[in-house]
Amino acid sequence: MSGTSGRLYDALDRAADRMLRASVFERLAIATASTALALLIGVSIVAAVGYDPVQFITSLIEGALGGRSAIARTLRFSTLFILTGVAVAVAFRAGVFNIGVQGQFVVGGITTIMSIIWLAPLLPEGVVGGVALIIIGTLAGTLAGGAYGALPGALKAYADANVIITTIMLNFIATGVVGWLVQNPLRGEGNAAPNTERIPEYVSFPRIVFDSSGFSIIGLGIALATVVVIYVVMERSRFGYDMVTSGHQESAATYSGVSAKQTVVSTMALSGMVAGIAGAVFAIMIQGYYTDPSGIGTYGFDAIAVSLLAANNPLGIIPAGLLFGGLESAGSHIGIYTDVPVQLIDGVIGLVILFVAVPELFRMAAARTGLGGDR
Amino acid sequence: MEGITKRFGDVVANDSVDFSLEEGSIHALLGENGSGKTTLMSVLYGLYEKNAGTISVNGEPRTFDSPRDAMDAGIGMIHQHFQLVDSMTVLQNIILGHEPTNNGLVDTSEARADIEEICSHYDFNVDQHLDTKIQDLDLGARQRVEIVKSLYRGADILILDEPTAVLTPQEIQDLLDVMEELADAGHSLIFITHKLGEALQTADEITVLRDGEAIGTVDAGETSEEELARMMVGREIQFDRPPRDPSDGASVLEASELRVRDDRDLEQVSGVDLSVQEGEILGIAGVQGNGQTELVEALTGLRDVDSGSVGFHGDDITETNRRQRIRDGIAYIPEDRTTEGLVQDYTLVRNALLGNQTVKPFVENGMIDWSAVDAHAGDIIEEYDVQPPDKSNEAKSLSGGNQQKFIVGREIEHNPDVMIASHPTRGVDIGSIEFIHDRLLELRESGMAIVVVSSKLDEIQKLSDRIAVMYEGEFIDTVDPVETTEEELGMLMAGHNTAEGDVAGENAPSGGVQS
Repeated sequence: MSGTSGRLYDALDRAADRMLRASVFERLAIATASTALALLIGVSIVAAVGYDPVQFITSLIEGALGGRSAIARTLRFSTLFILTGVAVAVAFRAGVFNIGVQGQFVVGGITTIMSIIWLAPLLPEGVVGGVALIIIGTLAGTLAGGAYGALPGALKAYADANVIITTIMLNFIATGVVGWLVQNPLRGEGNAAPNTERIPEYVSFPRIVFDSSGFSIIGLGIALATVVVIYVVMERSRFGYDMVTSGHQESAATYSGVSAKQTVVSTMALSGMVAGIAGAVFAIMIQGYYTDPSGIGTYGFDAIAVSLLAANNPLGIIPAGLLFGGLESAGSHIGIYTDVPVQLIDGVIGLVILFVAVPELFRMAAARTGLGGDR
Repeated sequence: MEGITKRFGDVVANDSVDFSLEEGSIHALLGENGSGKTTLMSVLYGLYEKNAGTISVNGEPRTFDSPRDAMDAGIGMIHQHFQLVDSMTVLQNIILGHEPTNNGLVDTSEARADIEEICSHYDFNVDQHLDTKIQDLDLGARQRVEIVKSLYRGADILILDEPTAVLTPQEIQDLLDVMEELADAGHSLIFITHKLGEALQTADEITVLRDGEAIGTVDAGETSEEELARMMVGREIQFDRPPRDPSDGASVLEASELRVRDDRDLEQVSGVDLSVQEGEILGIAGVQGNGQTELVEALTGLRDVDSGSVGFHGDDITETNRRQRIRDGIAYIPEDRTTEGLVQDYTLVRNALLGNQTVKPFVENGMIDWSAVDAHAGDIIEEYDVQPPDKSNEAKSLSGGNQQKFIVGREIEHNPDVMIASHPTRGVDIGSIEFIHDRLLELRESGMAIVVVSSKLDEIQKLSDRIAVMYEGEFIDTVDPVETTEEELGMLMAGHNTAEGDVAGENAPSGGVQS
């Protein structure tokens, strides 16, 4: 090895060692510093292009945290990012690349809405009926999302079809089919837009703490409860151990009696179920009806970034989801109240995510390559 | 190559190995899995940096930092797993990385002519397929593409790493013919294999490696399969066979007329009958690759059988899966501790649960009791002398011997009725070997039925009550370890049944019978 590359290697080794030994507190400090640095660079670009940097940064903070309605909006986005992020993390931890969370999210959402619409006439109106319909609708959405996730899992297990490809294709199918359904057979009577009927007024989460039309603390509660349940499943249950072991080292899992085929199906089903819960919360809490899925936002895809930022750790999804929610919320606020073009806002947001992710990616790379640590 | 030494951490993969290849000859490198064959060739090919020793090509000392250096010196390597892009054509694969260009654009017409000349010179039929995609070729043809690729790049010395492992018997014969033609044309070939017959048939000289050391180089015309088999398995230390009483317990594990196919759908186990009693160790001896792996996988529930049955305490368990067989009490020390026996980046605590996922008190009602698992890991470490004694260490940080002791401990603590131990002491230091042997003998005394698969004759002779010798998927004979000499075992392992004459016939490759 030549002198220069040797020195570079040593420097990398020392840096990797430092990163691997960083405590949780240090890592949080690094993440905060990275965010600040990214914002500094972003604001410089904004100023260089000729917009008011002070206004930009004020709107950014206001949009994310400025007042009750801004916080409600941030938490609304965060709720969805946390749920879809956990859906992705479950699969990734088991070594299955579920890129189809968006499709499972859509299938879960439309199933929730339609089951509520169809069952509402059979149940009493009011709080009791509302709670019953929310529970039934959420369960239906969860099961539908799970089934739509299990499908590519079964294709992998029994026909050796690549999960990445099948899940991407199933996203298009979900969007296309649901788009057609809301245009035609499921379109609400007299609706000009391609929407289903609204679910009844009484089928909604209570407005406690935040009096916001698109956010209820119940939705966030469901998201946090899901994180806890998934964390316990992954860390404390046999199913989770089997799944994570398959992801780490499939031959060892097989040796210990785990069936690789069954595991890929059940992993995809669980991941799809969480995506289905996300779809149900989106449908009940935010929309109240279902519309053409090509226009509802790409939570299932953004979730991949959320999960990777959290190193696929269910608990890490919470701060990652809050960060993404805050940035999304700030972005929409800046878009409305300043004349900074939306492309520039997205660019700055991307910069923040990149800067937060890089130290963690560096840690992961260091652990993988054997740089740093004891040898 | 002189005095080549290569260490990975504490493990010595090559211990001052000397190796020389004559121009225009075929030199076979023979040895068991893990004996250091591939490591030695990877050092030659510039993939690994050697710790000591010198490499000379045509009398000139050389150092290779990368395969590209080796290629420039006229060395080509054909890996066991082909390095071809499946979705590209034969022509594209051959010129990949060395594309002839004309004004910056790839010009294939010249390459096409060159390749056709190489093919016609050596009678390859690859040139008919130049525009076929690799994925549409069978494995034999893919291998010829690899050879043409090396020749096209100007290789004079070709290293073939277990080239016959993936081929059918007919393809193997074709390959051996090709190798002889290449040698006649002045190329020098290194042929890595663990199959005795192929080495004898094709090579001019044969060097045997064992545990990283070159045991010796012999002239292929002056040696025999028996001598080679003995050189390969050899003996490391003199083990004393402990005195024992014959067992007369009930039969616990049985197999009858078992036929098993490998991943390539070739039959590897061809009608094996076996039975193990309480308090008995059945040794299965044989040169690696004669169906032992598939037999063990069929017994442990990791591989479906083609026909025949497996019985346990008189019940037919042929259809039960691995998890059920763990619950029934069939413990298994796997052949490969690094990929199967331990999850390398789990701590020892998490690894203590591996295989115990259905065992109380570690898991109840599907939920794991980590404190019980934690205590269990501590017990294994203490009782089986795992060093360093820290259960929060990751498995990969342990030496081979300590990894193996941990696995042995974990499997014994299942309290099984049957223990199947596949190469229980491969790559393990002497101290740990003695320790593991003592444990297995204790288990025998306590009435357990044990199957030990090993290619080490001394180990088999020390441990076994009966030795079944496996050759080409069959038990060629079952013998008494006390009354059978090492020479006789060597003969059996090479396929010569003394009692019934030569059952193996000619030097058929031991890749199994094609379906």
